[in-house]
Amino acid sequence: MNWKNVGRLIRVDTKSGRLLRGRRLTRFRESRLYTYVLYGGALFIGIAVGALVGASYHTIAAMDTKLTQTELNFFFVLPTLVLIYSLVFTIFQQIQRSGAKFSTQAAYWLPITWEEHTLASMVANLFGLLLASIVFIGSAVITFSLFTGQVALAISAVLAMCVAALTASAITEIIRVLQTRFTGAVYKSTGRAAIWVRFATTLLFFLVFYVLYFYVVSGSGGTTIVQGVSFGQQVLWYVPFVWLGLTLYSFTKGLLLQGLAFLVLSFLFIYALYYIAVLLNGRFGLYEPPAITVSSGVYAPRKGVLSKLGFSPPEAALMRKDLKAFTRRRELMVIFIIPIIICIAPIIESHGVTGHSAVFTFALVFLFPASFMASMAGSFMIGEEGQAVWRVYSSPISAGSLVKAKYFFVVFFPILIMAITGAIGFIVFHPSLRAVFVGLFESLLLIFTLGAVSLSDGIRGADFNEVPRPRMVDQVWSLLNLIICLVVGLAILSPFFPYVLGVGRSIAGLYQAALLSAVVAMIFAAIFYRLALGNAKELLTKAEM
Amino acid sequence: MAADYSLAVELRGVVKRYGEILAVDGIDLNIKPGEIFGLLGPNGSGKSTTMKMLLGLVTPDSGSVNVLGINVEENPVKVKQLLGYVPESARLYEFLTGIEYLDFVGDVYGMSTEDKKSRIDEYLKALQLEGRERDIISSYSEGMKQKIALISAFLHRPKLLILDEPLSGLDPRSARIVKDFLHELKAQGVTTIMSTHVLEIAEALCDRIGIMYHGKLLALGTMTELRQMAKLPSSGLEDIFLKLTGTGDVRAIVEELLK
Repeated sequence: MNWKNVGRLIRVDTKSGRLLRGRRLTRFRESRLYTYVLYGGALFIGIAVGALVGASYHTIAAMDTKLTQTELNFFFVLPTLVLIYSLVFTIFQQIQRSGAKFSTQAAYWLPITWEEHTLASMVANLFGLLLASIVFIGSAVITFSLFTGQVALAISAVLAMCVAALTASAITEIIRVLQTRFTGAVYKSTGRAAIWVRFATTLLFFLVFYVLYFYVVSGSGGTTIVQGVSFGQQVLWYVPFVWLGLTLYSFTKGLLLQGLAFLVLSFLFIYALYYIAVLLNGRFGLYEPPAITVSSGVYAPRKGVLSKLGFSPPEAALMRKDLKAFTRRRELMVIFIIPIIICIAPIIESHGVTGHSAVFTFALVFLFPASFMASMAGSFMIGEEGQAVWRVYSSPISAGSLVKAKYFFVVFFPILIMAITGAIGFIVFHPSLRAVFVGLFESLLLIFTLGAVSLSDGIRGADFNEVPRPRMVDQVWSLLNLIICLVVGLAILSPFFPYVLGVGRSIAGLYQAALLSAVVAMIFAAIFYRLALGNAKELLTKAEM
Repeated sequence: MAADYSLAVELRGVVKRYGEILAVDGIDLNIKPGEIFGLLGPNGSGKSTTMKMLLGLVTPDSGSVNVLGINVEENPVKVKQLLGYVPESARLYEFLTGIEYLDFVGDVYGMSTEDKKSRIDEYLKALQLEGRERDIISSYSEGMKQKIALISAFLHRPKLLILDEPLSGLDPRSARIVKDFLHELKAQGVTTIMSTHVLEIAEALCDRIGIMYHGKLLALGTMTELRQMAKLPSSGLEDIFLKLTGTGDVRAIVEELLK
């Protein structure tokens, strides 16, 4: 093992990770100060939070002696929790990097062994936000322990957290290699259906990890997991993921031999994972999935339904191309996932609600997934062209045609999603037909208006960089777009606020509110569509590739 | 359509700045219909910016650009309809198959279904892409991607071709086909402007050559005229290029590298 090589590779991977978080490749400059500000900030906030919680806890603990066991449990479950959190986090990081293989491929033809490559990748995975969050938790825990007098236990817990994060990173490394090999085998065996198999499996994969991620980071999910881990750790002692927690538990309870056994087992486990990752990398690290053959037989171009709907051939061609992009490109599939989660979350949260709350939740399920999808899709629509945007620039496509084709697409998928989420909401919450019609009407208004807003913003803030990953929209414009969409959305829905607050009751007032809402929506849609046209004209004449 | 033009390309006092950098510095250039014109120059000399101005992708700060009798700034879409373009290292839509990509390009240029089909089939056969046309482009080699990019430029029978390093990555057979094809197109009155760093290709293919350096058109003419300008009567384009651009003193560098 050449440790200098490992160090060099970690620096390359870490830099790639920092690029993923938002810096433009062409403007990236190494700034040690900037890098350490992240960790320094996490440390500072962690100490502050630890002190605040510690002081509060000290006051409460003086009144309740039962809390001592709870605080001990908290220390014991920390490594396991960090392992789960790190696993989800590093998996997401790998998904983001999947489109950026060019940036790290150079390592493969340099004289570097798989051991060095794997170890560097495992360590580099931890840098950035994950390490910052560990620094935050660690500093908070140690500061907190000063108030409870368990400094030694806290330091041990923090060390165990670091090892847990490295364990998670090793598992991610294994999953990454296996996923490449597995998907390759699936493509090969499914033949022409591969494109749809990939679509479905990617959606499922994203969905599982997003649900898990939101579950972990949300307060209620986090509490449930702490309780579950706390109770389950003793029972599931044979599961390697809890060995670090059990090491802490055993040493604290004075079970030295047991503690030592779990400690050794923990290190053996992480070494075994590393060894497997090295073996898999050696075997499949350079594996290229086979080509997907989409169709067979004689090529016969068809005049699609879009031409019959009055779209010009370039407009129809752009739309067909975008349809394929959104069903074939992994990084774009996120626009299907987020609405599903937005739909699922309120349904789970409001299980069994009736009356006014049921109508309100139905409105949430009906309005938000599709509108959110429109605001996301619009902001991606131009930037998703990536470096191939020269094709649009150099083709005889006017700004009007470009905006028309993209806008149609931005509203098309959300309308489909609206139909699905509306049907689900109707089945779950049994709203009145009036509520359904108002929901449908407002949902359409939101889709068409927010689609125009986000398309205008997406053209203005288009980011065509594809390395290290396709970002599609500049981060500042992405944030601006969210804010503008929020303001415009609230303005459209504002006539209904009396009904949400339970003040408005009359049916006539409801129709007036819908009419007023439509006027507001049409004004905003017209303004932003015109802005989108202006932005598109500028884009096509100041084409920079 | 702009059928009435005596010059395929007409640049008059064209200037383009990017901040402090003067990318194109007052270029005047006439290219006749049916001419194969080579635009050469070291990296960063302004070739790509000039080509982009011909496409209407970059607006000049001053001067005028007319292509096939049309003012590019006034009517960029009409100009693009008549052009075929291949950029350097062309990035394609990698999630499409080769045939889907060409189908898309054909539609964008408004080709009829029958015409599109027959021409796509012909080109795929000629450039030996048959059998791989239904695979997604991400699995293609660089040479195959370049072939698709070239086909997409030729597909709609453009009047003017703008090709940046067109033969890059092609196998010898395909390169020969493209060269011969460009000669045939010339006979049909199609104008080609190409940029390449392989000077042998420019020497063999181009009727006239323009050498750009620091945004200016340093030299312009046929090979004979360039030889006279450089006072190198029996030399090839490489020596002429190196002498005119003042980058000819490479011997010392090579000797240094060999140490």
